[in-house]
Amino acid sequence: MMPPTRLAGTLIPAMAFLSCLRPESWDPCVQVVPNTTYQCMDLNLYKIPENIPTSTKELDLSFNPLKELGSHSFSNFPELQVLDLSRCEIEMIEDDAYQGLNHLSTLILTGNPIRSLALGAFSGLSSLQTLVAVETKLSSLEKFPIGHLKTLKELNVAHNLIHSFKLPEYFSKMPNLEHLDLSNNKIQNISHEDLRVLHQTPLLNLSLDLSLNPLEFIQPDAFKEIKLHKLTLRSNFDSIDVMKSCIQGLAGLKVNRLVLGEFKNERKLERFDTSALRGLHNLTIEEFRLAYIDNYSSKDSIDLLNCLANISKISLVSLDLGNLKDFPKGFGWQDFELVNCRIEGFPTLELTSLKRLVFTSNKDMKSFNEVKLPSLEFLDLSRNRLSFKSCCSEADLKTTRLKHLDLSFNDVISMSSNFMGLEQLEHLDFQHSTLKQASDFPVFLSLKNLRYLDISYTHTRVVFHGIFDGLVSLQVLKMAGNSFKDNFLPNVFREMTNLTTLDLSKCNLEQVSQEAFCLLPRLRVLNMSHNNLLFLDTLPYKPLHSLQILDCSFNRIVAFKWQELQHFPSSLASLNLTQNDFACVCEYQSFLQWVKDQRQLLVEVEHLVCAIPLQMRGMPVLGFNNATCQISKTIVGGSVFSILVVSVIAVLVYKFYFHLMLLAGCKKYGRGESIYDAFVIYSSQDEDWVRNELVKNLEEGVPPFQLCLHYRDFIPGVAIAANIIQEGFHKSRKVIVVVSQHFIQSRWCIFEYEIAQTWQFLSSRAGIIFIVLHKLEKSLLRQQVELYRLLNRNTYLEWEDSVLGRHIFWRRLRKALLDGKPWSPAGTADAAESRQHDAETST
Amino acid sequence: MKAFMAAFLVWTLISANGGGGEAWPTHTACRDGSLEVLYQSCDPLQDFGFSVDQCSKQLKSNLNVRFGIILREDIKQLFLDVAFFTKGSSILNYSYPVCEEDLPKFTFCGRRKGEQIYYAGPVNNPGFEIPPGEYQVLLELYNEKHSTVACANATVICS
Repeated sequence: MMPPTRLAGTLIPAMAFLSCLRPESWDPCVQVVPNTTYQCMDLNLYKIPENIPTSTKELDLSFNPLKELGSHSFSNFPELQVLDLSRCEIEMIEDDAYQGLNHLSTLILTGNPIRSLALGAFSGLSSLQTLVAVETKLSSLEKFPIGHLKTLKELNVAHNLIHSFKLPEYFSKMPNLEHLDLSNNKIQNISHEDLRVLHQTPLLNLSLDLSLNPLEFIQPDAFKEIKLHKLTLRSNFDSIDVMKSCIQGLAGLKVNRLVLGEFKNERKLERFDTSALRGLHNLTIEEFRLAYIDNYSSKDSIDLLNCLANISKISLVSLDLGNLKDFPKGFGWQDFELVNCRIEGFPTLELTSLKRLVFTSNKDMKSFNEVKLPSLEFLDLSRNRLSFKSCCSEADLKTTRLKHLDLSFNDVISMSSNFMGLEQLEHLDFQHSTLKQASDFPVFLSLKNLRYLDISYTHTRVVFHGIFDGLVSLQVLKMAGNSFKDNFLPNVFREMTNLTTLDLSKCNLEQVSQEAFCLLPRLRVLNMSHNNLLFLDTLPYKPLHSLQILDCSFNRIVAFKWQELQHFPSSLASLNLTQNDFACVCEYQSFLQWVKDQRQLLVEVEHLVCAIPLQMRGMPVLGFNNATCQISKTIVGGSVFSILVVSVIAVLVYKFYFHLMLLAGCKKYGRGESIYDAFVIYSSQDEDWVRNELVKNLEEGVPPFQLCLHYRDFIPGVAIAANIIQEGFHKSRKVIVVVSQHFIQSRWCIFEYEIAQTWQFLSSRAGIIFIVLHKLEKSLLRQQVELYRLLNRNTYLEWEDSVLGRHIFWRRLRKALLDGKPWSPAGTADAAESRQHDAETST
Repeated sequence: MKAFMAAFLVWTLISANGGGGEAWPTHTACRDGSLEVLYQSCDPLQDFGFSVDQCSKQLKSNLNVRFGIILREDIKQLFLDVAFFTKGSSILNYSYPVCEEDLPKFTFCGRRKGEQIYYAGPVNNPGFEIPPGEYQVLLELYNEKHSTVACANATVICS
């Protein structure tokens, strides 16, 4: 029994030690902003964590099973401003639970099944502005102990079990109350008594949401002379009769904004007709919205509009309006919104006082018809799939006051006129519609006041350089998703000295003109992303003295265009180069170093990755090591040096070839029994050449050859023929024949040559070297058939009186003379033997 | 006894590191002779309930679905991203605004974190016949802060 206890004795301290190794287990919350914001969502906390700093201003404790809040639960956090206790299974909140939270402005109690709420539960909370008690099983506002929260602005008690609309007396002490959300409760009846507090103390800014309550009855006069900012009644009525009587019950109400209708997924009315809205004329409404009414006969559309004739702002959302061809004229509407409705064709609108028209996301539209709206300032016709046969001029809209025009997300728009009469325009949006003829003429020429222009994704191909002429006030130009001629950005921004933002993304740009941005001194944001730029060229950006943000991401940038370092405008604060094809090679080392140096400037610099070379693909650009380039530099340097050395050696070897030969064979050098290296046969006419060139070069050069010359070496007194044989052939290894015209003509020379030939035949060695001094005439040569034959058969040296020619000549001659020269004693022996043999044969 | 103590030690060490990392179970949204739709929550924070009322190869337009969840985020605005895949390659992606701040379309629009929502009603889908095969559908609901409200990996098996 002992071992287990001993084991436990060791295990328990071990576990305690292990748990100490993980101190964060005691501090499970996420620090969003140090000392200010902590997130402790869904951490299975049973109590409020204590180790959170007392300076915390925002604390999220949602989804923890706290079960109940005792008094002074949050006394550790006196600075708290936002406290989220959503779905903490809180059933009980004791007195003074939030005591001490004098700075708390937002308290969220959503989703707690509160059963017991002490009367002093919310005491303290002297700055509370927003209280969210959605889905807290609250059954009555009167019993909700919040009467002392004088600073309250927003009270959200939606999705509860409140049956009575009785607004408690304490509302009179909440002068700032602006939002009261009572939606999705059980309120059925509204009586005059319920609203008594508002009669006594009007809350003029109150927005009241009663949607999704099963309203059955509103006492007539209940809202009489009540003023509200907004009243929302959606999906409240079971039948058209209830709706009709309730709207009549609202008589006398003065409201800035009234919202009626249903939700898409909560259709309660089986049938709707406009008679229900007749009661609206008893109300004072500034703005009226009707949304998501189903099962509504579109024949009543005109009737419906007539009901709303006296209201200045109308908004109709998701209705089936059918045919509105004969749109009523002469209403005093100032503001008209028609969103997501079904209408057969674009209505002919003639409303003299209309200032703002929003007509978006409607179905079954085809083409735009002319409208007569002389006071119109704001026109939004986006998302209707409308086609515009001509756009845009005063003639189409009959207004000269238009400031805002949105024709985005439509079909084809033909730009046939250049906004004649619409010079007041400040905002123009064509994005995702197809513009025709936009690049044919200076289409925006008259828009001197335009500040904002969006022609993104309009299939515009910019060919005409004057496309943006006239836009002198433009501040924002968005033209993403278009294209330029030759994918080259020319200087089309010629008069936009006020431009601050320019979007040129997804324009297939491959090149940018150096002058493209030269007249944009105020440009701050430039988006060049998603193009096909291959290099980063700073020159076009140089004139942009105010540029702060430049986005060149999603291009194919390899490196800088020029090798030398380049500079962006000094104002630049952010440069995005992510998702490019950087080349991490030593060729662009200066660019890669620049990236490292400009860390502060570059967006997500750690996400810049190499595209080439292949082995570096996906590696961070910052990880490129300059040392690798230095190593390769030394390799390159070394190899260049060694090549140089080798070539110098080769030159030297070439130059001193014969010296080296001599050096190598110096000890073994010997002429054997031959006295002379060569016997020279020449005509006396060529003696000058022999003396000045041949003798000088061969006898005084390296290696020195010993020539046998008749004028010098022949023994006087001996017959010429004997001298020729004894001194000449017998004592010489080789015979040099200087062939020239004189040689052929000289009989002695021919004689000598013939003996040489015989000698060569007898000793059977290639001993005759021919030197042709001048080009010989073939006819003359033919006279000497033998010579002719020999020259034809043998290679001969030709004397050429030029530097290169001489050089080659002497080298060849030296080589020929060295050939067969006995370098070694063995060679000498061989030669002696052969001479012996020769002697034998000759005898 | 020794074995028990060892097991106890192992358990404490494992449970100290445990929690999280487990995948949610796979649920069946609907099952029929030829069509089966399975889904698994890909939100690490929570699982949710979802079912489709009609389950047939010939998909009807405006299907009725049921969807229940406890919100972990406020949904003043809500967007749905749907991506269809088959055999690992993407077929179709689309994004749809479910709730817009100025125009709350559904009753659950504008609801708060911690609130329980239950939706039973039609979805705005076109009717078509599903070609036989196995499809993966990734659905993500997110709010204006781009925080995930719900996320599901669904598998549609049509034979």
